[in-house]
Amino acid sequence: MKKLSNGYSRFISFATALLALTFLSGCDLNTRMSTFDTKGPIAEAQLDLFMLTVWVTGFIFLVVGGVYVFAVIKFRERPNDDRPLPSQGHGNPLVEIGLIGASVLLLVIIAVPTLKGIWYTHTTPNNTYSQLGTWYEGDDLAAEAEEEILVIRVIGYQWWWEFEYPQFGINTGNEMIIPAGKAVHLELRSVDVIHSFWLPRIAGKVDLIPGRANSMWIQAGDDFDTWVEKNGIEGGEVELQTAYANYLKTEIHNYYYGQCAEYCGDSHARMLFRTTVVGDDEFADWVASQKTGHTAPEDKSWDEWYKTYDSHPESLSGDVNEGLKLFVGRGKCIACHSVQGNPRALGVAGPDLTMVASRQSLAAGWLNHRAEDGSIDTEKQYENFFKWIKEPDVVKPGNLMWKSNGNGIGELTDPEDPDKIKLLTDDEVRKISLYLQTLK
Amino acid sequence: MSTTVTETHETSTHYGSHVLKPERSNLGLMRPDHGKSVLIDWLTTVDHKKIGIMYGVIALFFLLVGGVEALVIRTQLAFPENDLISAQRYNQLFTMHGTTMIFLAIMPLNAAFFNFLVPLQIGARDVAFPRINSFSLWAFVAGALVINFGWFLQLLEVMGLFTASGPTAGMNDLVPSMGWFGYAPITGIEFTGAGTDFWIMGLQILGIASLSAAMNFVVTIINMRAVGMKMMRLPVFTWMTLIVSLLIVFAFPAITIALAELMFDRVFGTNFFVTAGGGQPILWQHLFWIFGHPEVYILVLPAMGIVSEVLPAFSKKPLFGYAIVVFSGAVIGFLGFAVWSHHMFTTGLGKVATAAFSLLTMAIAVPTGVKIFNWVGTLWGGRVRFSAPMIFALGFVWMFMMGGFSGIMHSSAPADAQQQDSYFVIAHFHYVAIGGIFLAVVSGIYFWLPKICGKMWKGNLSLWVAIFSTVGLNVTFFPMHFLGLLGMPRRTHTYLEGFGWETYNLVCTIGAYILAFGIFLLVVDIIRCLRSGEPAGDDPWDARTLEWTTTSPPQVYNFARNPIIPARDALWEHKHGPENRKITYEPDDGHGIHMPSQSWMPMIASLGFVPLGLGLSMMQAGVAYMGYVAIFGLLMISLGVALWALEGPGGYHLHPEEEN
Repeated sequence: MKKLSNGYSRFISFATALLALTFLSGCDLNTRMSTFDTKGPIAEAQLDLFMLTVWVTGFIFLVVGGVYVFAVIKFRERPNDDRPLPSQGHGNPLVEIGLIGASVLLLVIIAVPTLKGIWYTHTTPNNTYSQLGTWYEGDDLAAEAEEEILVIRVIGYQWWWEFEYPQFGINTGNEMIIPAGKAVHLELRSVDVIHSFWLPRIAGKVDLIPGRANSMWIQAGDDFDTWVEKNGIEGGEVELQTAYANYLKTEIHNYYYGQCAEYCGDSHARMLFRTTVVGDDEFADWVASQKTGHTAPEDKSWDEWYKTYDSHPESLSGDVNEGLKLFVGRGKCIACHSVQGNPRALGVAGPDLTMVASRQSLAAGWLNHRAEDGSIDTEKQYENFFKWIKEPDVVKPGNLMWKSNGNGIGELTDPEDPDKIKLLTDDEVRKISLYLQTLK
Repeated sequence: MSTTVTETHETSTHYGSHVLKPERSNLGLMRPDHGKSVLIDWLTTVDHKKIGIMYGVIALFFLLVGGVEALVIRTQLAFPENDLISAQRYNQLFTMHGTTMIFLAIMPLNAAFFNFLVPLQIGARDVAFPRINSFSLWAFVAGALVINFGWFLQLLEVMGLFTASGPTAGMNDLVPSMGWFGYAPITGIEFTGAGTDFWIMGLQILGIASLSAAMNFVVTIINMRAVGMKMMRLPVFTWMTLIVSLLIVFAFPAITIALAELMFDRVFGTNFFVTAGGGQPILWQHLFWIFGHPEVYILVLPAMGIVSEVLPAFSKKPLFGYAIVVFSGAVIGFLGFAVWSHHMFTTGLGKVATAAFSLLTMAIAVPTGVKIFNWVGTLWGGRVRFSAPMIFALGFVWMFMMGGFSGIMHSSAPADAQQQDSYFVIAHFHYVAIGGIFLAVVSGIYFWLPKICGKMWKGNLSLWVAIFSTVGLNVTFFPMHFLGLLGMPRRTHTYLEGFGWETYNLVCTIGAYILAFGIFLLVVDIIRCLRSGEPAGDDPWDARTLEWTTTSPPQVYNFARNPIIPARDALWEHKHGPENRKITYEPDDGHGIHMPSQSWMPMIASLGFVPLGLGLSMMQAGVAYMGYVAIFGLLMISLGVALWALEGPGGYHLHPEEEN
């Protein structure tokens, strides 16, 4: 018996040491997708509820666990134990009822805030702060949208995200832009299998289910009233407004990491997304450039460029022109991708590429080129474009850019000679990458 | 104790005579008798003990298979952007790990205990329908074969002996890779291949096995109890078996329907879950979890039953609040049907349903907590012996409690929106599954193996099993709480650097190997016990219930004469209680014991599911003639069942001569 209890305590100390080691070495809770480092009212409400459950269950754990350990130690069999049999009691109804009552009470402590939390997170607010008319600085807003809050349609594909802004008639892929401090309504849909939208520091998940329109609301940073109330700051209206603007700028404007959280097939692990939270002015600028799109290289008009392209394409020279020629030609990119401005790049099966070079990641967040200071590392960006176009099946196994072209990009079958497969060459991939880097 | 066998007579007389009906039916079919040849004996057995042992051995095998799958998964995740295995292989592994552990390891391990113990605990000679029992076992084997057939094909493919071309061109995606939950529409033909069909057919067959076994146990427990074994005198393990069997009877039809609909979608082009045709993928989730949540209790209630037997035995005290423990088990079973949508908090249920399922989920914590209070109450004032089964039972209470607490954390729907489908959930249910169910099952193995094989454990290796498995379990799964809260989603075959997940993942992987070593030691200990254990004697633990009155291992007829039960904890009262609580036995009527003949038919009928399942699966993939294979399977099942019905009753008589 002695040997047993010795071993038991040894094992407990061993386990504790190992676990302690883990948390000492990795106890940073402010990581990119941490649910502890919240930056919005929804994630905050969810964290508060979680911590409440931690405290309540921690309390039960201490009490019940303490009594349990005490009982095991106190009532253990002693060596050569020849005491008479312990009392053969079958239980005590009062103790039972008391404990059931206590458990119910403890659960009520969790239940009431939970109900409040459910209603809060499920009801999209429509306050003046969030209404487009209040904060949107562009001049292209339809009158009926003035009293609406920003709506974004999130559409899940295997394995990337489309973010459509119906009030502005624009859409983008994999990197969503939202204004700081405003409630945003998300409509969630999927075109193939179930995905789940998870932006941990801003909000918990809601699923994207094909054949069904789900919705949720998110908000990065507090609105003005909440912020004032929370921080208890006194001062004049102007002063407060400046301090609030400063809070948004320093604490909320940032690049947030999200990921698909419902298993959705081969490359589920590589279906990530990003959200950039920006100021009102930056948002308006972004909408404007997304809408305008691009002219042809060297500031030509598209009519002019295509006229040359159709008649004597060889006169369009230089890497960017060559890249664009491949983009609309042999690369077949425009079959699935659109670029605002370009009248022939109208594909809808893949992400919109209008501002693809302004994004800090590629391939739904798997290939990253965000530098430490938040700018774009253009060398890395080039590398990522090259890698993604050269071997999309390696970056994202099973994806359509590879599969729908017949496992490769380029001309896979020549009607004259089936053996003559003309995939894009390294040089061609290089040119397309260089062209894509101009789309910012 | 020795026995003599009387030959069965050729003529039949009226009921009640010791002379039996003819062994041959009018068709002239023969049933093999017990003891003719070892192989035939095991294949055709209807003895609940042998069937239980076979369930146990096969389940332990699949536990190791599932364990190896888990180790490959953990090894892949040890480092960010690791490319040890491909995304597709990883998805196959986690799908099969879940499916294997739930349906091929834990459920049959529980079934092994049900089979071996329940008749012994209620004082019966066998289950109510011995041949159906055999049918359940072999249907389970058939289902396991069908579900794992993809691995076999994939192995052939790797060895170059099989390619998806020509007549088998449709046979790709061989191993199931859509998750053990198989959420539509990823199970549709657009998205996944032959593996999904093997999975559908395999699960359907396993469902048939579970349903027939469950009905058998309901009837057995209600009808076959010895004289005096009133319901409220049943050992708690038997009570939990009854509740679990009822849960299976009510829960499995939901997944049977879901799987049938899915099979129709894939094989016959219906539209239940196909979005393009107006189908509703969300329907699958409701059906699946109406089965799936009770399934959680199907897995865990037997573990609670085991612990409720072990704790009193090693505390020398009756179970604290027997009636409440039984009742709370029943409440858990009942409420288990009312919480399914807490698996779906993120699917857009709306406020009211979310609130309702949130509250119901909290409510189910109450009866679960009650059980823990009563286990602590059992220890209180007792005399706690740290024997091998007790170490694991004590570990169970602690680890299960931790799993329960993270369960309460999920019940708060808004908090769950962050936890759902993250590693937090994995931590939660592995604390319940390994810290809870696995430790309880190991406790049960340490407790009952001396009864099953008649040999006693050697030495203290059990302590090292406990140390390695408990340490391994905590090192593997405790950090996963943090991984989940730091945003790592489940079912991802790899992850990027820089999210703060690296250290945790590496520690988890190390823990998995520690746990694996613990399980390896368990296997070693079992083999040592079987090979060179000392004879155990009838009652090596000074235990409390009726099974310990039989010899170790029990005779084929269990009890030479039927016991008459005077009290709950019959053996304990017999040993330590007053004179009027001794177990007595029904007088010998001189007929001897009527033993059933064995039968081939249950096995033939259930193995017919193999060609049926594989045939339908491969027919979907467009392989020629597979429809005929399926029809052959159906004929085999029908023929087996028909001949089973037409078999002669058979049987023989044993005359155990008690020497004392």
